[in-house]
Amino acid sequence: MTYQLDFTSLGAYWPQFLAGALTTLQFTLYATALGLVIGIVGAIARGSHVGWLRLVAGIYVEVVRNTPFLIQIFFLFFGLASLGLRMPIFVAAVLAMVINVGAYSTEIVRAGIESVHPSQIEAAESLGLSRFQIYRDIILKPALERVYPSLTSQFTLMMLMSSVTSQVSAEELTGAANNIQSVTFRSMETYLIVGLLYLLLTLLLKAGFWGLGQVLFPRRRRLGTVL
Amino acid sequence: MKRRTLLGLAAAAIIVAAAPASAASLAEIQAAGKIRIAVVPGVPLFAFVDANLNLTGSDVEISRLIAKDLGVEIEFVEIANAARVPTIQAGTADILVGNLAITPQRQEVIDFTVPYSTLDIIVGAPERYGITGYESLEGQRVGVTRATVNDTLITEHSPNAEQVRFEDDATLITALASKQLDIVSTQGAVLAAINERRADDPLEVSFVQQSLDLGIALPKGQPELLAWLNDWVKKNFADGTLPKLFESFHGRELPADLVDRVH
Repeated sequence: MTYQLDFTSLGAYWPQFLAGALTTLQFTLYATALGLVIGIVGAIARGSHVGWLRLVAGIYVEVVRNTPFLIQIFFLFFGLASLGLRMPIFVAAVLAMVINVGAYSTEIVRAGIESVHPSQIEAAESLGLSRFQIYRDIILKPALERVYPSLTSQFTLMMLMSSVTSQVSAEELTGAANNIQSVTFRSMETYLIVGLLYLLLTLLLKAGFWGLGQVLFPRRRRLGTVL
Repeated sequence: MKRRTLLGLAAAAIIVAAAPASAASLAEIQAAGKIRIAVVPGVPLFAFVDANLNLTGSDVEISRLIAKDLGVEIEFVEIANAARVPTIQAGTADILVGNLAITPQRQEVIDFTVPYSTLDIIVGAPERYGITGYESLEGQRVGVTRATVNDTLITEHSPNAEQVRFEDDATLITALASKQLDIVSTQGAVLAAINERRADDPLEVSFVQQSLDLGIALPKGQPELLAWLNDWVKKNFADGTLPKLFESFHGRELPADLVDRVH
């Protein structure tokens, strides 16, 4: 236990750290935007009256939530390439994240939808609102507002989980750290810095989600109460 | 009171857990009757799992011989490629027999024995790419295993090549076999393993990057262990044990002056 911390030799590598952090952030932004869309569509499908739609959404959620992320990304990157479908690592990584986070979001949004009391929908129907209006204003908006905290923590988890994509050569933050560590041999310092960067990214993401929440949910912004 | 006891227990647990992390000296290894040797499974010919699911390969068998001649039991510490130097630095294994090339940068942080094996590193690609040297790699996607000399050399000589880095040789082989990539910088045995899996579009040796001398790695500050290992390598090289063992896996001879090479 006589290890001497030395950060000076890592100074030259800050552009790599930064590039890695930016890639991680990019992965996360794409995965969040597309994952949310899949989550909403998936949740509607799971509660649909159409049998096969419910079945497809159910299989998707169960398969993705019950297999490891690493296996999913190996399948996408290596498995599909064996069948002749080559995709760049950026696309493969984002796709894997979207598929993964989409399944979790589906379940979260579904919980939100199920929390909307049937009497609200009945009231909307008797007021003559169209099906689309009911879904948009009476079901989805309050549902999303209610599960927003769960959704944001799922997306934050997703960002941390993106470190796994370094296994298939994505040069995100963890990949960059592994490179830097292998050149400088300062593994302890490298991973300390990377840990700190992930922490900063998490805080940044949290602040971003908070701001987005303020814009998306004016009711909460004005009243400051939970739904 | 109860809380304090718990805290004490927790602290003790941490200390106990941390204790075996430091590398043992020669005397400590002999006293304990056990040596922890780090190997890197998934490297063809050097360390791999055979058809009967036994760990074998030249590095693995050399490790077994070392433990036998030390008169102690062996505990394999199986690690990934990029963890080779950190494992020795952190002392999670006593020594590493992991096809690690002796380089000046690595010598600054860990110690090496005299060379015990060699490794030719090469660039391989299908013929149609017309790769002949580092210049022709510019702008191409080249697969490497992270934290290898290959990685360093490509970075240095072909700065505009797009390096695609994998954690271990096994994943690199998968990337080439699944045709995710066509060009690779690796060693001969890995290239053979790749070609077994893509017979329809095989890779050829485009050029040899470097011939590397491999050393057994150990933490700095273990002079007795280093001296014992150096003697062991020289003795087993002279009596033919080591060259024969190497040839049985690799099908090629080690250079006669290997153990006298100075790094």
